[in-house]
Amino acid sequence: MEALKLWNLTSQPLKRHLLHSTTSITSYAFRRTPRTLLLRSSSSSSSSSTASSSAPDVDKPTGAASRTAGRNRRAPASPTTSTSDREAVRAIRLRKVEELRSKGLDPYAYGWEKTHSANQLQDIYRDLGNGEEANGENDHVSIAGRIVARRAFGKLAFLTLRDDSGTIQLYCDKERLIDDQFEQLKAHVDIGDILGARGSIKRTEKGELSVCVLSFAILTKSLLPLPDKYHGLTDIDKRYRQRYVDMIANPEVADVFRKRAKVVSEIRRTMDSLGYIEVETPVLQGAAGGAEARPFITHHNSLGRDLYLRIATELHLKRMLVGGFEKVYEIGRIFRNEGISTRHNPEFTTIEMYEAYSDYQSMMNLAEEIVTQCALAVLGKLTLDYQGVEICLERPWRRETMHNLVKEVSGIDFSELGYDLEVAKKVTLSTLGNNLDAKDKASIEACQSVGHLLNEVFEVVVEPKLIQPIFVLDYPIEISPLAKPHRRSIGLTERFELFICGREIGNAFSELTDPIDQRGRLEDQVRQHEKKRAEAASRNADKKEGTENEDDLYEVTLDDDFLTALEYGMPPASGMGLGIDRIVMLLTNSPSIRDVIAFPVLKVQQ
Amino acid sequence: MASPPPSSSEAAAPTPTPSPSAATAQALGGELSKNALKRELKIRQKEEERKRKEEEKAKKAAETQNAQANKPASADDEDMDPTQYLENRLKYLAAQKAEGINPYPHKFSVTMSISQYIDKYESLEKGEHLEDVSVSLSGRVMVKRPSGSKLVFYDLHGGGFKVQVIADASKSDLGEAGFSKFHSNVKRGDIVGVTGFPGKSKRGELSIFPKTFVVLSHCLHMMPRQKSAAAAADANLMKDPWVPGKTRNPETYILKDQETRYRMRHLDLMLNPEVREIFKTRSKIIAYIRRFLDNLDFLEVETPMMNMIAGGAAARPFVTHHNELNMRLFMRIAPELYLKELVVGGLDRVYEIGKQFRNEGIDLTHNPEFTTCEFYMAYMDYNDVMGITEQMLSGMVKELTKGSYKIKYHANGIDKDPIEIDFTPPFRRIDMIEGLEKMAGLSIPKDLAGEEANKYLRDACLRYDIKCPPPETTARLLDKLVGHFLEETCVNPTFIINHPEIMSPLAKWHRSKPGLTERFELFVNKHELCNAYTELNDPVVQRQRFAEQLKDRQSGDDEAMALDETFCTALEYGLPPTGGWGLGIDRLTMLLTDSQNIKEVLLFPAMKPQD
Repeated sequence: MEALKLWNLTSQPLKRHLLHSTTSITSYAFRRTPRTLLLRSSSSSSSSSTASSSAPDVDKPTGAASRTAGRNRRAPASPTTSTSDREAVRAIRLRKVEELRSKGLDPYAYGWEKTHSANQLQDIYRDLGNGEEANGENDHVSIAGRIVARRAFGKLAFLTLRDDSGTIQLYCDKERLIDDQFEQLKAHVDIGDILGARGSIKRTEKGELSVCVLSFAILTKSLLPLPDKYHGLTDIDKRYRQRYVDMIANPEVADVFRKRAKVVSEIRRTMDSLGYIEVETPVLQGAAGGAEARPFITHHNSLGRDLYLRIATELHLKRMLVGGFEKVYEIGRIFRNEGISTRHNPEFTTIEMYEAYSDYQSMMNLAEEIVTQCALAVLGKLTLDYQGVEICLERPWRRETMHNLVKEVSGIDFSELGYDLEVAKKVTLSTLGNNLDAKDKASIEACQSVGHLLNEVFEVVVEPKLIQPIFVLDYPIEISPLAKPHRRSIGLTERFELFICGREIGNAFSELTDPIDQRGRLEDQVRQHEKKRAEAASRNADKKEGTENEDDLYEVTLDDDFLTALEYGMPPASGMGLGIDRIVMLLTNSPSIRDVIAFPVLKVQQ
Repeated sequence: MASPPPSSSEAAAPTPTPSPSAATAQALGGELSKNALKRELKIRQKEEERKRKEEEKAKKAAETQNAQANKPASADDEDMDPTQYLENRLKYLAAQKAEGINPYPHKFSVTMSISQYIDKYESLEKGEHLEDVSVSLSGRVMVKRPSGSKLVFYDLHGGGFKVQVIADASKSDLGEAGFSKFHSNVKRGDIVGVTGFPGKSKRGELSIFPKTFVVLSHCLHMMPRQKSAAAAADANLMKDPWVPGKTRNPETYILKDQETRYRMRHLDLMLNPEVREIFKTRSKIIAYIRRFLDNLDFLEVETPMMNMIAGGAAARPFVTHHNELNMRLFMRIAPELYLKELVVGGLDRVYEIGKQFRNEGIDLTHNPEFTTCEFYMAYMDYNDVMGITEQMLSGMVKELTKGSYKIKYHANGIDKDPIEIDFTPPFRRIDMIEGLEKMAGLSIPKDLAGEEANKYLRDACLRYDIKCPPPETTARLLDKLVGHFLEETCVNPTFIINHPEIMSPLAKWHRSKPGLTERFELFVNKHELCNAYTELNDPVVQRQRFAEQLKDRQSGDDEAMALDETFCTALEYGLPPTGGWGLGIDRLTMLLTDSQNIKEVLLFPAMKPQD
């Protein structure tokens, strides 16, 4: 009933605009690239009739009339309709822009004095009774935001305005609006426009807090129809490509980014309160060290040299410790030239922190402190639901060695296996054989050392089971080239990784400070990598194809500046890296890393 | 207990000094103003300070001579050739390992920092010892002064502070022979942990007397020598701490060589204590901006550093390649377009502090990666943003300098007197075109997009002998003229406002001045520090501006902006009226740390490859 009235109200001017639409489309198209022009001409003739019937509805996703139209729009039978809808709407609204200008009104205003946000008003007038008005001197307010819904009657119109904080209704009574503003509202205001409004406060009989509008101004005229909620949710690719559309259609998306900001700011607060200093180290480097990953390569023209994008901040931060800073951290972007998935984006954000005179035990306490503080800041509690699983962050978290965890889950006791790699592989395959797929078996066969094997078994059988927070301790030395040898156990290092929900959240060690040991280990790493690279290259030479998928073909360089710095003496220290995107995923119950990165990297659109 | 009488009489001596000068003032007819009196006092104090320093110097020199006379075997290797030195150290480490000793211990429990130690025990009397207290300190040995085989003095540095270690065989857990052998292997530059009791030497210097002494990490290279005892004394930041806004003189540093300082920042930080303060200042500047914006309800966000299109500014980008996606990517040159997309999405106040990348030459003010802060604020215009800029910068300067709006800066080189830059708000404002016409006596044609204006400006440049390398687009010509006539006058913070449309493809046209935009740049010490505008949010006009940029690009200006279709579409969904702002954090840090080279404020600046 209401919706029908609304239709009556708006159909009149819209019809009028449609008469002009063809001309304005053409003139507009000329101003754009020829490619667009082609697009237009291919669809405009065939769909001009559909456009005229469905275009007006696009503006009003609510109400009976629009629901039908909306369904039509998404019907697979008319793929061209949605483009032409958009183009038609754009044409109509461009027309309105001209009209506003011709009346001396600015469709793109320069500013607006706001007195309140929507939520502030909801808060202040919480106790205003139904049907009551607040019309005192202090009740004259000014707000601004996007119009996300509108309903209109003969002399009344209701608009829903949304701003950064929430929504509030605009109660527009022809009698109360100044001049001919009610006519202007009917003729020129569309869903999607950004409006500023002034007025007093009233709660309607139905209980909706409203600004009873005295005057308003179109601050920004929108040219495109807002997507409805369903559309926004289903078209996942578009959600990431045009994040702003996603955020307009689904206000809860913006909440993820608000929470992300809170997490980062809470981490910073925690570090600062502990006396850590925040520093910035280079993204562009002559050698990409501190992790094992394929780096991005770029070229600096005036230096005439290739540079790598950093794959970790570790080596430069350690140089700060050599220089006499005792507690440093950096929150920053890391780049890895790897595939994209729900867990990986080529650029992601970490915090790395280093503290002189501490060891990995103290880093465990710090990890607990940081993650629980973030949870309290975002959720206000330490239990949370992640994709249907309840996670409990109450401290202390379990601390268990990798050896014990592997033994616990697989029954294999690596501490009794000794150093014979072949024996260890046999035992592993015979114990786990039936539960492994071919790929896992191949990885086990390929292990170069008992340490690699232990880690492989851990990754295959243990990792997925680590749901509640746990520190996995004492990694094999072969896979931990930057960690200090364990003070008690030969062949192991003082290293831990933090796992929550089967995902690695953090990685820390007592830092290796012996420059001779460090040089030996990094040189080993380079040698091993070169060997793999040579093997891969010869495999490729045989196959003469498929080079692109070979992960081992990139070059690894030794960071000599780092090694020299160590020779000047780095104090005993521990360091830790935490994946901020993953912490945010956990605390916002987001299944994909793309949900917590505002503009994730996507495949090229076909 | 130490006997106090001589020192107390010494202490009493300075007290009466003010009265003679007061008397002098009266003798001069009592006409001296308060200021003159103060000046007089200052001169006297300085004189006394100088005398005291000289005495100290003499003492120190005597000490060194003494030490050299006592001549412990270990001091010798300071004269060794560096390769030999390194080899000796490596041999020593190997020997330790062979004996089953780990030369790099896992952990040393520190009970307090050196600065806490000073705070706590500075008030001890001369010669007072607290033998039943046990404290563990750690740090780097920067000075070693053996005095016979049973006594070694060390200066221990940590966290920007220094304390003396008096290692005395009689107080050590090691036997006499063990003590001597152990300490002969402790070298300048080693990181050590000491556990012992606090006390003051007979001369009154706060010290720690260790029972145990552990080397935690070894310095395998010979540390550059401290140039003199006086420099060693200066190394203690306690005496005259540098604060932002004061001048610095790297010429007086212990390690002066710029190449070494920038390539081996760890050495620079170890030897030149002021350097650490530069980076602390940098950290404080960023923290201040964050706090300032957070208090205005801004949200900090992160936008991509790798894009398919490098938009939001005019600059040559870095190119890279994503292997698996087989995709060419550009490093961002500005976050602007993404941040505005977020405002379209409903985040009304956003900011990002982060790295930008420009594939340009390296010089005193340019590094290929640099840090900016950009913010966007819905419903605000450039006038509001100018107010915010004044408030932020003046507030920051006042906080960091501990109470002043003015800073000292060596604008004309370290050998000339520093200038004073005054951040007292409000800042001066110059209208760009009006200002230029006035200063240069020009009358620029109103239609700046036309051929006539281009010719006029070309002639003007010719007349004033201002070089503009081709292409001579109107925008570039104007830029050169403004640089010559206006920017040169902007030493104290000055807003140059209302740039022409042709120079500002992302700024909104001026509400009352045709052909111009609502834009400002803030100049300090003749360099651009901020760039801001009322954001252009009319998608039709934005597309036209991009098209004009394309024209400039085709005429050879490869720094003209590229069109970003996603961004233009975002504008079609409606960007509220918005004020946007960008600040160069490196340049601001340079100003506040009296740095003339951007490399001074970057921990690891980009350097030419070493051959």
